Amino acid sequence: MSYYDVDAILTDSQKLPCTFELDVPGLGFLEGNVGGTVKAGTKLDLPMWLGIMLAVSTGNTPGSSQLVTLDFPTPLQQRVINALKADPRTVDLRAQAPHFYALGARIMELFDDRAVLDTLLSTFKLRAAEIADQALNPRGALGEGAEFLRGLDETERQLFKAAHEGPKAVRAWTLDLKKNT
Amino acid sequence: MALPNPPGLLPAEVAFLCEMEQVTIVPRQRLDRLDLLGGTTRPLIPPQKTTLPLWLAILLKRQRRANIVPPPWLYPESLEEILELETKHFQDSFSLPPTIPPTRQADFAGKSFYATTPFVESCTASATPNALPYHWYEISEMLLEAASDDVAQPDRVRQLLRDLREVRLAKIRKEVETLAGDGEGTRLDGVGAMELSESRGFLTGVIGGLRKIDASREQARRDREEEERENRRDNDDDDDEDDEMT
Repeated sequence: MSYYDVDAILTDSQKLPCTFELDVPGLGFLEGNVGGTVKAGTKLDLPMWLGIMLAVSTGNTPGSSQLVTLDFPTPLQQRVINALKADPRTVDLRAQAPHFYALGARIMELFDDRAVLDTLLSTFKLRAAEIADQALNPRGALGEGAEFLRGLDETERQLFKAAHEGPKAVRAWTLDLKKNT
Repeated sequence: MALPNPPGLLPAEVAFLCEMEQVTIVPRQRLDRLDLLGGTTRPLIPPQKTTLPLWLAILLKRQRRANIVPPPWLYPESLEEILELETKHFQDSFSLPPTIPPTRQADFAGKSFYATTPFVESCTASATPNALPYHWYEISEMLLEAASDDVAQPDRVRQLLRDLREVRLAKIRKEVETLAGDGEGTRLDGVGAMELSESRGFLTGVIGGLRKIDASREQARRDREEEERENRRDNDDDDDEDDEMT
């Protein structure tokens, strides 16, 4: 993941539900209470980069608990995972998160949840096969496939483009051959 | 990014490489030997069959100085057989490429060496009739374009080639299901050069995507392996010490 990768930056700015375990003075602006104290037990949606930093830092005294605990973000909660297990093709991933898989991979670094990870992998595979079919089908992008294609996340959009460009280049070469004879 | 092209060869580059393939021709005019970079050609004496690189054969064909003998697999009967193999016998994999034994050749200094696949003739009149060589798609397109009057039943051949292409592309798409994020590959035996060029973007995209999603597990695996290696090294060191003691 590159420092200048816009997709990585956008992934890191997605919101993550955090619960504060300690009172933190001066952080009140996060919940619109400038200069105030964030009480222990407050639930806040923080950007991922901030949430992760707070989650790995502890209080001043040794042995004190972590500052915040993280939770699964909405796009990865059980409801969505169940829907993906049932039928990956009908879920609108873009509505969940524009960088769904990148978010998933990032969250999997924090939580070791094998079941969710396996679901993500099989989802990606099944949807990739569908994407290839749609990319090769000239009517797909306009007709019955439009709904599915609107729901692709960024990674899948790039995949669609790659799957579309290959056959297009071969077709262009074949046409060129005919023209030059 | 210096070159805006995607990684891998473009179709035009694949076709350019394919033009090196030897094909059989029947000359209509005499022509002395030509000193080419790739070696000298044999003098053309009609009506003796001889082999020439595809690009030269197509050039001569265009000038009506030669007829091209299509390779044995480019006949409707052979293509039907290959299509049957492809759909009935190899439902999950691709039909096998021709087995071409390496041939002994001599280089410019007279030293002998063994030439293997891309430099061995697989599209001449003596090729295997029921197997598709590496450059099957490009060579058949070019032959059908430049020398369709030399190919038997060109329309039927075109249709069979289209069917074959569809079947094989569908198989490549099906390969995706066998991929995983842990670096396990998939077998692409018998896939042609143009098919590879066509599907490279998609397949590598899927593998890259899977690997990105699976990054956490990969990291864990790497750490574990690193640890095991450390342990083994420690153990080895211990053994060494033991040896010294005795």
